Amino acid sequence: MHAKFRFAALAAATALSLLSGPAAHAEGTLAVYAWADSLAPDLIAKFQKETGIKVTVDAFSSNEDLLTKLQAGSSGYDVVTPSQHFVKIMGDSGLLEDIGANAMPAYRQVLPEWQKPWWDPKGSYSIPLAFGNAGFTVNRDLYKGPVDSWKIYFEPGPELQGKIASLAQPDEVIPAAQNYLGIPYCSEDPQAMKKVLDLLVAQKPFVTAYSSDNIENRIGSGEVAAHFWWDGNSLRLRRNDKANVEYAMPKEGLVGWLDSYVVPKGAANIDNAKKFINFMAEQENATAQYNYYGHSTPMKIDAAKALYNKENAPELFPTVPVKMGQACSPAAQELVTKVWTQLLQ
Amino acid sequence: MSARRPLFGWNVLGLMPAHVIMLLTLIVPVGIIILVSFSTRGPYGGFDYIFTIAPYRQILFNEGWTGELEFNPQYLIVVGRTLLLALATTAICLACSFPVAYFISLQSRERKVALIYLVTLPFWVSMIVRVYSWIIILGNNGVVAKALLALGLPDIGSLLFTDTAMLIGLVYSYIPLMILPIFASIEKLDPALVEASHDLYGSRFTTLRRVILPLCAPGMLAGAILVFVPCLGAVLEPTLLGGGKAMMMGNLIQLQFGAARNWPLGAAISIVLMASVLIFLTVRGLSAVRREGREAAR
Repeated sequence: MHAKFRFAALAAATALSLLSGPAAHAEGTLAVYAWADSLAPDLIAKFQKETGIKVTVDAFSSNEDLLTKLQAGSSGYDVVTPSQHFVKIMGDSGLLEDIGANAMPAYRQVLPEWQKPWWDPKGSYSIPLAFGNAGFTVNRDLYKGPVDSWKIYFEPGPELQGKIASLAQPDEVIPAAQNYLGIPYCSEDPQAMKKVLDLLVAQKPFVTAYSSDNIENRIGSGEVAAHFWWDGNSLRLRRNDKANVEYAMPKEGLVGWLDSYVVPKGAANIDNAKKFINFMAEQENATAQYNYYGHSTPMKIDAAKALYNKENAPELFPTVPVKMGQACSPAAQELVTKVWTQLLQ
Repeated sequence: MSARRPLFGWNVLGLMPAHVIMLLTLIVPVGIIILVSFSTRGPYGGFDYIFTIAPYRQILFNEGWTGELEFNPQYLIVVGRTLLLALATTAICLACSFPVAYFISLQSRERKVALIYLVTLPFWVSMIVRVYSWIIILGNNGVVAKALLALGLPDIGSLLFTDTAMLIGLVYSYIPLMILPIFASIEKLDPALVEASHDLYGSRFTTLRRVILPLCAPGMLAGAILVFVPCLGAVLEPTLLGGGKAMMMGNLIQLQFGAARNWPLGAAISIVLMASVLIFLTVRGLSAVRREGREAAR
């Protein structure tokens, strides 16, 4: 998920949208808006071939972008893939179509522990796509020390000073800092949030960049030695590009996320959207999607064909607590913004 | 004086497409932004039509960490930094562009066309690709660092994620917009005036200062506006080359519409930005008109 602004991915998504497959027999269209690089291109092509529905895939780079687009009205998309707290916000704001998710064939493929979660308690709006967590990755060529605590990242020792990069958005960095300080997510206590600000301000002189794009290059090439990042992305960089990186397991806890397929209110092709979601949930396809994306899957998959296990992908099997990100109240969100504005003012 | 024209003659009808486009793409959107800036924020982004001036108050006054309302210059600091950056970019572009434009104007016809074509060439490539190429040039082991090492100069490490990198990126992005209008005004310069200056024993420097520069001022002003205004809203260069460590207006507005879910404040900041640009341009325009008036009266 969360590969924000990745322009290679945008280019890929554009190429994908041009790749319309064998001429559709006028079965209509489907407009998908998903995290950059998240959906397996092979599966999109297969879906087009099987159904004749012409699919276009655009990439978004942050939940906030997606929410803003839906709030502005008539986004023109039929399927979008927000994270859990944004599913909650969108559902509560009436931005999602009730697709009767729990009656869809796709729902029977969802692992029981992910059915009817707090962000969609009745199972009306969403079918999960992938889950994972946010933490930090170190480049092992540059940093040999321990990676068992957020202290290493937020209060870096001399070997990491000036070689740390953070994200451009507060959405996950602040929850991580809250885990480290033992402050609950979405705290409405100004004094507690002041502590978060103090921590981040003290870290700032050692931070090279607050940037959410091009992360694999920065950490893989050793431009920085530690980067705030996501589990599956770190896995893919290590496996696919043979980079000497390690995803940290901070004992204070990682920041969890789960992305779901949802249908925006008033979408033009709701039936096609449901067809697509059901298709992606079929065991064979969910397995292929898991192998492509490299983030954990909330769906039933074919274990024999799955690429990743505890031995070859420790990133996906955290040994520390994972605390799911929450939908903050306006008052709490105000404090988050205040911390971030004062950090970068 | 022209004769009275009917109110809805062919002139008006003929210009209708222009009026409609202006209305739909300029006046209506700005009106919407003004409307949003006086509305109440929705709990999860968006806005409600309840009139308030709170967004404007929020630009100057914020609740402190202990809960009381206090004057907080945090947004003014961002505005000031953005203005400074835009001014610096404009000044550097101006200093670099004038010699380039003058040089081009002295070439033969064919070479002139070729050189102007080269100046506009970067526009054929997407902005984001051009900014990314600077990441490679300025980064660790980038071309700049390697060249300095090869020349026996000290290792400066990576220039990336510094204010210098940001400024380089901005100057690079916008300098063609400065060169072209200056070139146009130099082209219109009557060579006889330069000769006259020399005939009257004006030195080269005096000729430049008293004849060439004043006559090219309109082009320089046009270029300065074309560079200064987009610089105020620059997001790409501060984020990608500057490392996003210090917020600019563009980032601030993006934050308000995104993570902060405070559309009215974002709209209010946009309006303040737009208003300050308008005031700046109006003052410049008025003083130019007054100067022309004085000169005409002389």
